[in-house]
Amino acid sequence: MKKVMRIVLVVALLAVTFISGCANNKQQGDNSGNKSNGDAKVKIRFASWSKDHLDKQKKLVNDFNASQDKIEVSLETYGDDYDTKITAGMGSKDAPDVMYMWNYPAFYNGLEPLDSYIDKEESGFKEKYYDALWAYNSIGNSVYGIPVGFSTHCLYYNKDLFDQAGIKYPTEEWTWDDLKAAAAAITEKCDGAKGFSYKLKADPYDYEMYLWSNGSGYVDKDGNLNGSINSNQSVEVLEFFQDMQKEGIAVATEGEGQDEMSSAKTAMFISGTWPIDTLKKAGLNFGIVEIPAFATSGQDSVSILSSSGVSISKDSSNKEAAWEFVKYWTGEELNKARIEYELPVLNSVVESEKLLDDEYRAPFYSMLKQSSGYTPTSFVIDHWSVLKDNLELSFERIFNPSTLEDVKTVLDEVAAK
Amino acid sequence: MKKKQLIKKATPFLFISPWIIGFVLFTAGPLILSLIMSFFDWSIFGNPSLIGLDNYVEMFTQDPQFWKSLLLTLKYAAIFVPLNLGIALFLAMLISQSIRGVKVFRTIFYLPAVVSGVAISILWKWILNGDYGILNYLLSLIGIQGPKWLVDPAWALFAVILASAFGVGSMMLIFYADIKNIPIELYEAASLDGASPTGQFFRITLPIITPTILFNVITSMISAFQQLTLVMLLTEGGPLKSTYFYGMFVYNNAFEHHRLGYASANAWIMLIIILLLTSFVFKSSSAWVYYGTELKTAKGGKKK
Repeated sequence: MKKVMRIVLVVALLAVTFISGCANNKQQGDNSGNKSNGDAKVKIRFASWSKDHLDKQKKLVNDFNASQDKIEVSLETYGDDYDTKITAGMGSKDAPDVMYMWNYPAFYNGLEPLDSYIDKEESGFKEKYYDALWAYNSIGNSVYGIPVGFSTHCLYYNKDLFDQAGIKYPTEEWTWDDLKAAAAAITEKCDGAKGFSYKLKADPYDYEMYLWSNGSGYVDKDGNLNGSINSNQSVEVLEFFQDMQKEGIAVATEGEGQDEMSSAKTAMFISGTWPIDTLKKAGLNFGIVEIPAFATSGQDSVSILSSSGVSISKDSSNKEAAWEFVKYWTGEELNKARIEYELPVLNSVVESEKLLDDEYRAPFYSMLKQSSGYTPTSFVIDHWSVLKDNLELSFERIFNPSTLEDVKTVLDEVAAK
Repeated sequence: MKKKQLIKKATPFLFISPWIIGFVLFTAGPLILSLIMSFFDWSIFGNPSLIGLDNYVEMFTQDPQFWKSLLLTLKYAAIFVPLNLGIALFLAMLISQSIRGVKVFRTIFYLPAVVSGVAISILWKWILNGDYGILNYLLSLIGIQGPKWLVDPAWALFAVILASAFGVGSMMLIFYADIKNIPIELYEAASLDGASPTGQFFRITLPIITPTILFNVITSMISAFQQLTLVMLLTEGGPLKSTYFYGMFVYNNAFEHHRLGYASANAWIMLIIILLLTSFVFKSSSAWVYYGTELKTAKGGKKK
């Protein structure tokens, strides 16, 4: 009997170890790929990259779950390294059913094209959204995400430093020469502050907007680098930025530039809508205005759009339910609910909330109007990740204070690859 | 009776079966899968296609970044391993003195090794900041204008080496344990014969702990080659790719460029390199490692 007891004990121990290890896996297995059968709720996984507004997002998801009893959405907060996690999910065919998306060129292979879903909706569905956004949420002629937010870039300026130097605030009529003059004056008159700052590790996706503003781009419409990235206009843009650093009136920041701005170490910088909260909390007296134009370009400045949308995974087994949730998340109610931290994309909401009168938000909408008709290179060429790598390194070589390499040489090298 | 014998023989395996299954599923399996993947053109999406040795050929002949990252990582390991070993040994000698309060120092010296890699990176990012960092502030107190550690390509590698010294605690502990095991008679006999403390260190302590040195050399060499967290969070491979270690090269190939097959090939080449270097160190160990018998009498290291 003793021996039998020993064997029973061993088996029981093993069973417990295995079950406790596998229990978690079972739960996850239940959530994904559930088939709706009459009473059982369809379970949808929704991935978000938000770090700051998680409570608000959770509440909105709970509201959806409470408002109907066919679909249950579970919010997965990925935070940092969002792209890596989505990549891993798609690679293992286990991506969330609905997810925030911005990098369509890299991920569209794993996303469900939404044109057929849009066509089934009432007419005028697409027209409710700002037109420029659709190009950023599609690849070729297929729509892969419904716009949920966007940011263009604008010029932030420190009103106190401008007052101190006795210069008039920037206006939408400004050119880059005006900015340079103001930066020089501020650097001279305000101790310890530089006039302008920009990122040392310029984001190639964002930086293309400066080239657009001067009439060029990374590639021509056939995807060729030579003649575009190293054209005179492109060289002019980069040299302009580099010269400001050489003359000591601008600084290339290690980080985003928000820290330098909030501590009044620089008077101006260009960014999207993200710093607004931080700068307000720092108690900074600042203003926002459109990006200056290049005097010789003969056109208004153009901004890059960072548009985020929500997409459906190609491998989802509950696409209809996912579409219902996508409509909810991108609808009027939620555009209004997110107004504190996400610029609404629906024309109706912008009108009803009078956003065009808001001094902090209006410039972003006017940049949006000035920027339609431009497609980022990442949407045009195949191997954007490789080009992005090269551009990042090249910009560093040009903007790093320890190197400050000759612009034309560096850009010619990029075009040659 | 056969049944009983079978159960007797099987029981130990049953006990370790959870670990075996875990090992097969999470270590051995993926290892073999990645070897197979390295012979494919395996993107995140779409279907993998067999391309044989093309990944390896591309790595060696068409990818200059491979050589750059490899040489950079070798350079890093060449500086990191002796430096860390030296610091660990030095600290271990310090805490094996029988002074009052030595236990407190033992804890303090070991503490940094416990902090997670992410926290260390964020910490050092602020310490090394060119304009507001503490390091440059301290240097300015003695009149040196510190460089922009994380911006200047000439200094970034050194900054990473500095930050990675935080993990020296575990090596120090291993050294300390070994030093403590050296019988005091040896020291007593040596000091009777007139040996100075330095002489005692080089003639007694060092030879006896050579097995531990071997162990530490190998483990720190392996972790130096696989260094990723620190470099990814502190410098992101910059500035100007001056800290673009091999680990980052593999990671980016997989998650930025979505080329899983190529990244697997990269990883296997790193495995082979580490294997070769480790076996070289092992082979050479017969020349300098002393496996003496240990006399277990009284405990303790040096006592004056």
